[in-house]
Amino acid sequence: MKLSKSKVNQALDMLAKEATVLVPMIVDGVSKFAPWGTEGKLALDIVNTLLPPKDALFPQTEKMYKYKVSAETAEVKEITDSDKQVVFGLRSCDMHSIDCMDAVFLTKGYVDNFYSRKRENLTTIAINCTKSNPTCFCDSMGVDPNNAASADMQLIDIGDAYVVEARTEKGKAVEALWQPLLEAGEGTATPISCELKLDMAGLPAKLRGMFESDIWDDGYQACIGCGTCTYICPTCYCFDINAENHGQEGVQFRCWDSCMFSEYTRMAGGHNPRPSKKERLRNRFMHKLAYFDERYNKNLCAGCGRCVVNCPVNIDITRFIEKVKEVPVNG
Amino acid sequence: MSDIQQELRKTARELLESGEVGYIIGWGKGRFANQTHPIFVKDPAKVDELVWDDYCLSTLAKYTQDDKYPEKKIGICVRGCDSRAVNRLIQDHQLKREDVYLIGIPCSGKLDPETNEPAKKCVECAHRNPVVYDVLLGSPVEEVPQPERFKEVEELEAMTPDERYNYWADVYDKCIRCYACRNVCPACNCRECYTDQYRVGWQGKQNNRAENQIFGITRAYHVGDRCIECGECQRVCPMGLPLMKLNRKMLKDINNLFGAYEAGLDTETKPALGHYETNDVEEFM
Amino acid sequence: MSVDVEKKNVDPNWEPKILSFSCNWCTYAGADLAGLNRMKYPENVRVIRVPCSGRVNPQFVLRAFQKGSDGVLVCGCHPGDCHYVTGNYFTRRRFLLMQRFLEYNGIDPRRFQARWISGAEAGKFRDTVTKVSNDIKALGPNKKFQESWYKERGESNE
Repeated sequence: MKLSKSKVNQALDMLAKEATVLVPMIVDGVSKFAPWGTEGKLALDIVNTLLPPKDALFPQTEKMYKYKVSAETAEVKEITDSDKQVVFGLRSCDMHSIDCMDAVFLTKGYVDNFYSRKRENLTTIAINCTKSNPTCFCDSMGVDPNNAASADMQLIDIGDAYVVEARTEKGKAVEALWQPLLEAGEGTATPISCELKLDMAGLPAKLRGMFESDIWDDGYQACIGCGTCTYICPTCYCFDINAENHGQEGVQFRCWDSCMFSEYTRMAGGHNPRPSKKERLRNRFMHKLAYFDERYNKNLCAGCGRCVVNCPVNIDITRFIEKVKEVPVNG
Repeated sequence: MSDIQQELRKTARELLESGEVGYIIGWGKGRFANQTHPIFVKDPAKVDELVWDDYCLSTLAKYTQDDKYPEKKIGICVRGCDSRAVNRLIQDHQLKREDVYLIGIPCSGKLDPETNEPAKKCVECAHRNPVVYDVLLGSPVEEVPQPERFKEVEELEAMTPDERYNYWADVYDKCIRCYACRNVCPACNCRECYTDQYRVGWQGKQNNRAENQIFGITRAYHVGDRCIECGECQRVCPMGLPLMKLNRKMLKDINNLFGAYEAGLDTETKPALGHYETNDVEEFM
Repeated sequence: MSVDVEKKNVDPNWEPKILSFSCNWCTYAGADLAGLNRMKYPENVRVIRVPCSGRVNPQFVLRAFQKGSDGVLVCGCHPGDCHYVTGNYFTRRRFLLMQRFLEYNGIDPRRFQARWISGAEAGKFRDTVTKVSNDIKALGPNKKFQESWYKERGESNE
């Protein structure tokens, strides 16, 4: 079945009746996944939005508990509201990032309730890439820009229409909803690949042995220690828990945190095991390319290129990967 | 431009070989033609990594704050903006003049890597030639007067208070609080920023309008009288927020209330909020 | 974005919350003297004693609006009379700029005022807070900069 591009707006209207539909849009100059109906321009043709869709599942600030203390009792209430959401038009790299967050928040013996509630209520509709940015390198990271395997539904761009491939129950429900709009027809898209190629073979294992390498002594100095790379990264999932206190009551919330901030690892008493930008940058790269692979067997970097474009001082993870490759083994 | 690059590399090699400086902070080339990044050259054999082209946008003086007690002098490439940042830091006692060797480079403006048009911060620049240096490469360029320095501020001032509030509320709503504006700013040099002292309660860590407003206003006010108008905060903002409209409002009022003022042109003129006159404007009687 | 309607739907019994940062060496004594003289002034002014008007960080003002104040008043010694010689000269510069900066961000300048009131000027203290209180009553409740917590819970939240 296929969905004509001229009917995309109708299809989104239909979805929006049942759920909040997040679509790539340019809102006030910023490209991001915004609820359908927001004032802005639908932007299905751009390769990557500036802001990834991760806050559909992992909002920058998420209220967790309300609490209230009165004379001798304390009341704690978990905040469980979670609306149905659909992310429409996400790319394979962003789908990969959702796979990474699933691994973190749902596997290895711990399920994060706040995340899992949102995840159960989320339907993902991916669109294949028909072009890549010069900064894209997802296929080097094990992501296929032509197909997001774990999405609930894959749309394949065949020029004037999308071929609809529902893969899960949630995806089939969307297909059923769209039935009046769909036409018979099949088609394939010409597969694309990224121009920027990185050789990742053996890299995570090699990096694991390079914690003390002098490779870290160079390149970190330019970092200004801001959180841009981590906040626009689709896979970064670190958070801090904090409370907003109002006398006898308040709200416990969690909010994004960044390993690039000095305060991130500061302990009670003031000791900081990552005292300088060198240790912080090392942690970011090691987490992306080595530690995550060790625990979950995939790269925490999706190869979307957002940090490569947006780092204020052009610190480039792809150049770092090349540099690691050049280091002789045991060097 | 490439002549200056040659001269820069030559100067850098001499400085490093003679041991006059420990390392040189300049710009190096990224993967793509429109990218440069700050580099730190120690080895005279590597001076050819230094570049001077249309995309050398980053200001460099702030990096001296990572090395406050250098063994040898730090060599820094300074354009107008970098040199004012150096003055700024010297005046705040965050840097000693004798700890730096300034390689002055007159600059006729850089390009925005996205659009390849002249970068906004460079179009608005009023001091293209370094105001302090130890050696000057090339010859000074003509300064461009900026009669419209406060035009954007005046446009906002013409709005009603509610319009202005909503304008800024929309801006603060977009802020992701990555703190790039703070970290890149040569006037932001507190050892620990108030935002990082979150147990004190100045600033909540949650991202919402009220907290973002507090951050946005406080940041601008903190740097208000010391802003050298390099425009780096606005350049590095991933959300493209018009931060210079806040900074310039402070500067406009300082100019109106306390006389003509530009920060970082020398190390003697005191910042407006760091001193007073007994006959200042009186409105609180 | 929605405009915060300030004057609509205001409870006729609504009283503004006004925070007054008062210098220990002058205005605080002036307020005390007003009390000793049985002068009447609006009870919606809450006085916070500070060692000098120079102690008032602009962030105190922002935080006050964030936490639900409808108006903020900073009071100190007359120029030349500072207990610490020069504190209020810095205050003057600081808040001349702050008032304009807040106005630029959409806050009515009447909501943020600074005044010099000596320890002998009980009458001036009374007149000042009465005027500020009346001004702010006319302006209505302030919702700008307020935390959503207060907005959601409305007037019942003290």
